[in-house]
Formats: sequence, C-alpha cells, structure tokens
Amino acid sequence: MRPKSENQNLSTTSSSSISDAPSSTSIDPIFLILRILPFSFLRPPRLRLKIPTFTLPSPMTVYALVLLTYFMVVSGIVYDVIVEPPGIGSTQDRVTGSVRPVVFLPGRVNGQYIIEGLSSGFMFVMGGIGIVLMDLALDRNRAKSVKLSYASAGITSVVIAYMMSMLFIRIKIPAYLR
Amino acid sequence: MVGKVEPVNGNVKSGSNQSTPAATQAATLKSDLLNSLSLKSLKLKTKQQELLIRVSILCLVYVLAFMTRLFSVLRYESMIHEFDPYFNYRTTLFLTQKGFYEFWNWFDYESWYPLGRIVGGTLYPGLMVTAAIIYWVLRFLRFAVHIREVCVLTAPFFASNTTLVAYFFGKEIWDSGAGLVAAALIAICPGYISRSVAGSYDNEGVAIFALLLTFYLFVKAVNTGSLAWALASAFGYFYMVSAWGGYVFIINLIPLYVLVLLITGRYSMRLYVAYNCMYVVGMLLAMQIRFVGFQHVQSGEHMAAMGVFFLMQVFYFLDWVKHLLSDTKLFQAFLRITVTCAVGVGAIALGVGTASGYISPWTGRFYSLLDPTYAKDHIPIIASVSEHQPTAWSSFMFDFHILLFLFPAGLYFCFKRLTDATIFIVMYGLTSMYFAGVMVRLILVATPAVCLISAIAVSATIKNLTLLVRAKNKAVSSGSSRGTSSAKGSSKGLIDHSQPFQRNGAIVLLLGAFYLLSKYATHCTWVTSEAYSSPSIVLSARGAHGNRIIFDDYREAYFWLRQNTPPDAKVMSWWDYGYQITAMGNRTVIVDNNTWNNTHIATVGRAMSSYEDEAFEIMRSLDVDYVLVVFGGVTGYSSDDINKFLWMVRIGGGVFPVIKEPDYLVNGEYRVDKGAAPKMLNCLMYKLSYYRFGELTTEYGKPPGYDRARGVEIGNKDIKLEYLEEAFTTSNWIVRIYKVKPPNNRW
Repeated sequence: MRPKSENQNLSTTSSSSISDAPSSTSIDPIFLILRILPFSFLRPPRLRLKIPTFTLPSPMTVYALVLLTYFMVVSGIVYDVIVEPPGIGSTQDRVTGSVRPVVFLPGRVNGQYIIEGLSSGFMFVMGGIGIVLMDLALDRNRAKSVKLSYASAGITSVVIAYMMSMLFIRIKIPAYLR
Repeated sequence: MVGKVEPVNGNVKSGSNQSTPAATQAATLKSDLLNSLSLKSLKLKTKQQELLIRVSILCLVYVLAFMTRLFSVLRYESMIHEFDPYFNYRTTLFLTQKGFYEFWNWFDYESWYPLGRIVGGTLYPGLMVTAAIIYWVLRFLRFAVHIREVCVLTAPFFASNTTLVAYFFGKEIWDSGAGLVAAALIAICPGYISRSVAGSYDNEGVAIFALLLTFYLFVKAVNTGSLAWALASAFGYFYMVSAWGGYVFIINLIPLYVLVLLITGRYSMRLYVAYNCMYVVGMLLAMQIRFVGFQHVQSGEHMAAMGVFFLMQVFYFLDWVKHLLSDTKLFQAFLRITVTCAVGVGAIALGVGTASGYISPWTGRFYSLLDPTYAKDHIPIIASVSEHQPTAWSSFMFDFHILLFLFPAGLYFCFKRLTDATIFIVMYGLTSMYFAGVMVRLILVATPAVCLISAIAVSATIKNLTLLVRAKNKAVSSGSSRGTSSAKGSSKGLIDHSQPFQRNGAIVLLLGAFYLLSKYATHCTWVTSEAYSSPSIVLSARGAHGNRIIFDDYREAYFWLRQNTPPDAKVMSWWDYGYQITAMGNRTVIVDNNTWNNTHIATVGRAMSSYEDEAFEIMRSLDVDYVLVVFGGVTGYSSDDINKFLWMVRIGGGVFPVIKEPDYLVNGEYRVDKGAAPKMLNCLMYKLSYYRFGELTTEYGKPPGYDRARGVEIGNKDIKLEYLEEAFTTSNWIVRIYKVKPPNNRW
C-alpha cells in the first residue's frame, strides 16, 4: 500500500520536482557548499555530456573475441608462459658444424616450441572458419558469385587445415598411426 | 508387428495355390523370410522408424563405449592400473568386508607412519560406494563376482552411461540429431578414455558422468522452470560432490552462467526457481560429506555461488517493486540505489569475512588454475606432478583430433541461435578449454563440452548439406511454375539452373564429412590402443626381434615384501609408490600419494638426499625397516627415482634449508657420471640405486656400469653400504629393496 500512496503524492509534485530537481529544492549540504564556494564566481561551461550507458555487444562481436582467445589457448600460450621454451629449436649438424633450426620439439607429446604452437593453432582456427564460411555460403540471400566464393574459400580452408594438421602431427610423432 | 506380417503372407499363399505344391511351399518359405526381414513389411510409420533408428544407434554407441576401453584387460589381465586406483581399491575392499559404518569411521594406521590417516574424513566416498552397491546388487542376483572385477569395469560402465546423458543433453540444447552425434563422439573421444579405461579405478571415471548429469538436469530445470528438475539437479550435484574434488568447477560455473544470463537480460522466473532450489538444497546435501564439511559457507572458492544467490534475491525484489510501481523514473532511481547498496553490502561482508579469517582464501591447487605461475614458484609438490603441466598443442591434437576444427564452428552456430541452453554450453566450453590449457589433466573436464559443441556443428552442417541434396528433388518435380516452391528454394540460396552442379557438390561434401568422421574414429582407436591402455604397473617394450617383452617387476617386489618381511615392518619410499605398497605389499608406509603433509614428505626427501649416516639417523627416528627405490638403469625405464631425484631435493630443501639444490648440480646441469657433484655421488639415493651396478654390463659394447636411462657411465662404481644391506632386487633391477640394519651394540 505504501508505495502506491507515495506514488500518488509524488505524481502530483513530480512535474515540478523533476523539472527543477538540480537547483533550488536540494537539501544536499555538499551541493550547497559547492554552489557557494567555487561556483559563485566560476561559471561552468555548457556541455552536452551523457553518462555512458552500457550496451551489450552483438553476438558476432563476442564470437570474434572468443575465436581469438581460442586461438591463443589452443596454441599452448599457457605452456609458453610457464615453461618458456625457445621460439624455435636448433640442432648442430655433426658433419658440417652448421646450426640448423628445428621447428617441432621431438620426443614428447606434451612439449612444444612457441612457433610450432602458433602455427598449429592457426591451422585449427582456419579449419573452423572454413566450416563457418561454408554455412554462410548456404544460408543467405546473397549474390551468387559471393556465395560461390564463400563456398570455395570454406572448402579449401577445411581441406588445407586438415592436411596441414595431419602433416604436423606426423612430423612431431613419427610413430603416428603405425 | 507379427500381426501385420500375416496378411501379406496370406495373400502370397492364396495367390500361389494354383501351382505345384512343392514349388509353392519353397516359394512361400522364401518370401516369408524376406518379408519378415524387410523393414517395409513391418508397416512402421515414419515416427516409429525414426524411433527404431535412434534406439538402435544409442544401443550401438553404448556397447562401443564399453568395448573400446577394454584393450588392457585383453592384453594383460584384469588388474588395477596406476597409483591412486590402488588406494580406492583398498578402501572399496574394506567397505565390502567390514560394512559402511566401519568404513566411515576408519582410522588407517598403515600409512603415514607414525601419523596415520583418518580415511573416513579425507576421501570422496562416491566412487567406493558406487562400486560397492554394484557389487552387492550382483551378489544379490547370485553372480559370484570378485570385487576387483567390479572395480576394474566400473569406469567403462559409467562411460557408457555418460553417452546416454550426452544424447539427452544434446537433444536439450539443439535437437535429437545433435544428441546422437554427441553420444557417438563422446563414446570414443581419447580425452575421456584416458581416465576411464578398464582398470583405471579413479574418481574421474564416475565424476564425469555426475558432472554431465548435473549440468543436463540444471539446463533442463532452467528451460522448463520445474521444481522437480531443479531438485533432481541438486541430487546430481550431491553425487558429484561425493565423487570428486572437481565439484568446485560446477559450483563456480553455474553462478557464472546465472550472472551472464542476468547481464544479458534473460532473467525469468524459471531461472529463479532453478537456481535457488539447486543452490540451497545442493549446498545442504553437500555438507553431508565429511571431507567437504562447511566449506560451502567458509571457503573463498564457494563464495561466488553465495553472492549470485543474494543477487538473484535482489533481482526478484526489484522485479516485484517494478510490478507495484507505475512510475518508471522513480523506479530507475530506486534501481540505482538498491543495486549500489546491495553490491556495497556484499563487498563489505566479503571483506569482513576474509579479513577476520572466517572465509578461507583459495587453496593452492585451485589458485594455480587462475594464476598458473603460482605453483611453479611456491608449491613444488603441485608443480612436480606430470599431469599438472600446462598443455601443448600436440596434447590437444592427440586428445581431440578433428573436434578442434568443429569446436569454433559449433560456437558459431550457438552464437547464431542464442537460447538459455546454448549460452550455457558456450560458457562451459570456453571455461573448460581455458582450464584444459592450464593443466593437461583437465582436458578430461573439457571433453564433454567440446564433444557437444562439435556435435552441434556436425549436425547443422550435415543438415544443410542433406537439405541441398533433397530439396533439389522437390524443385525438379514441381517445376519452376509454382511460386511457393521456388520461393522456398531461393530462401535456401538455391538457383534452379545450376541444380545438378550444386547437388553433386553437396554429395561430394557429404562424403568428405563422412571421411573426416571415419578418420576421427581411426585416430581415436589408435590412440586408445597405443597410448592410453598401459597399466603403468606392468611395463612392456619391444624386443630385438619385434616381440613384446613384459616387465612385471613392481608386482614381484610388492609380493616379495608381503611374503618375506615381518607384518609390522615399515617401508620408506618416495610418495609415488605409497598406495601400491600398502595395497599389494600390505605393509605400513611412511608417505603415500595423498601428499597431505608436506613436512613429512620433506623429511623423506631429506633422508634420500643426505649422506648415509645422516639418513640413518632420520630413518631411525621414523622406525624405518626397509627402503624401496625404483631404478631404471638396466632397462632404460625413464620414470625412476634418479630422474625424480631433483624434486626430492627441492621439496626437502623447501622445509629444511640444509638441503641446497646447487650442491647436486654441476654448472646447473644434473649429472650422474664422473663429472657429477660429490654430494650427488655419495647421497643415499645414488648409493641405493647404483649398489653393485658397477659390476653389471647392460649393453653390448659399453663399459660395465652404463646407465641406459641416462645414457652415461656412472661415476662412483665402488659403493659400500654401512647402515643398510640389500634385501631384494627384482629380475630386471627395476625395484630394489634394502633393509635398515639395527644400530651396533655399544660395547
């Protein structure tokens, strides 16, 4: 009951109170002091400022951010930060003595160099985006050439990503599928 | 169904009555057989055909999930694997022999000598009680099984049940096709198989089933708003709390999900009912587990759930006030004041609770998930476990294969169709993938989410492709004159005059999708067979001629201990082997895998890394009779105590500053050959591992004393033991047991 009666009282005085709410009928002591001390001789400029409102981003924006974090996690960035492997390994050729780079850390399943992690993560994300492009090619009312290019880009992305991932894992683990 | 077959037979019989009787009978028999075998003659409606297909797929997936986990049982024998399952087996044995009250009140004096362990209050009983119930049910039905067989096969059984839950969950999130694909994917996914093979009798085998069940019941409760489903999810949560310490993930993910729903403006009465019921009843039920106790109101890890609970009450209150007020501007002011006050009061309460110590801070194990560098610097025991290392890309690839491609695609489909259920699965997938990146062991928790989201991608893509293949037929039959059908065709993006090209393209893509899925099945079976089916207690290697050689040294040593030592003998070893020694050797140990007392472990580490006389003093103070070390120099076994030795030094040095790690290294390098540090060459661990090893030739063409695991010739070959004597060395020198000699007589 109480909120309703307050509502009725306030609705009659609402027009007057809300229209000049900032100035004359305020009981805030700090506001009154401020009105006297600096602002009796200083004139605040007229600005058009709005309190920033919080709007939610669109789902596809969030999806783009999610894809970025997925790329970082799947490339093994936590492993890179904690174990601090080199960016790329090196081995010395016995015969000539020259230093050759080694891209894939051999011998262990749970170990990597930084660059090999990033390139594998990129392949995974490319495969995912390929499937997304294939779906975009089917589901929209777009120009036929655009749909065709989406479809072909999607199919080639998936094929390349799968083949490269298989190649990477075969280089890293020589006994794979044998 | 049989009734429907008969009229067809009757027609055939009547029609063929005119020909010769013998040929007629043969013909009728053949046609009877064919008719009863073909599906069409059963005259099922489409819905019933679909139900039959679905049920048969689920049955096949159920059997598949069980069968693929049986590799090690078929290769070796039905035994318990690894280290932790031996403790679980021992407690289950105790439960079935002595009953529930003895189990609940059990004080174990055979481990952590002289401290003992209150087993009833320091374990998660869900797994043991589950296996005991299955055992009692089978016994009641007069199947005379041994408890060991039940323990070995519990995990595959629950994996099969998980596939069923995954089907229902997929049906809830997307549709039944996605549910079927999810069940099939999760049945063979190596990320789940690694911790649920037959023989791996560990908490995770049951806990993943409980986790997925709780999540499914909660999402069902949010979708329907029914009190019954919310209560069921509370009981699912209780089962999860009783099964595994990872329940903290549930009690933090669900509040986070509720928070995200509130922020995106999806507050509804269904959410209110579901979360309140689940939180309150679940919390009360969780407090029944002694190991958890009052943590739900006292520990920092559970405070998020309580905060969101209060926030939900504030939302409900504001909704009620909004319903009563009709002035929106006043309501906006009221809203701002109330939200500020509520957040302020909550922050003050949290601050007071943390400062006064009532709310304990996050424990090290879970804090290291949020800040992965914490364990490396501060808690060497956590950092030393190999399963706690961060994940490299190849571990992801090994455990997920093409699901890594399908996961981002599935996320896209979820973001396209945002509902309460898809928001949940997206959050579960993202948080669990982050934690899987921090710790290899947590790939297990991410597996159900990855399988479900990938199933959405597979289902949606295949649906699109099959629509392309099938819609072509409709457009061809109806022609381009009908406006409606061509409009339907163009809404799917099809244009009539390129029909055959698109149809063939869709068929090719469908074949490609099936090819990828078959490669996934091949990969999963290969990984299961090669990598995840080894019992760890029995080692195997390929001999010179390609034949398989089996090293059963561990069980040989534990059986020797059981038969040849006095029953009250105390065995000192590194904590890895504690559970196995107590379970199989039946002897008291000093430290075991529970690792609850860091100082006790540091004492053992100090004893292993000191000179023999100092170590003898420590061993006398602990009443040690036998010392057990694991040595891989003869076989090339690389997980032996010499390779783990630096961790013993670090853990010991963390409590006793007398032990300094640089004393054992040469120029920062860890060596055991001639150039090794003198403290290394004379410490107890070195002496016990290499005693009499200097006389042994291990490899053709190498000098005696060549260590095959390190690849060097050892430095100190002439080892004399003063306070210990050798008791037993196994046939391949993997486990070596020494007896501690009593002190000399004074005069």
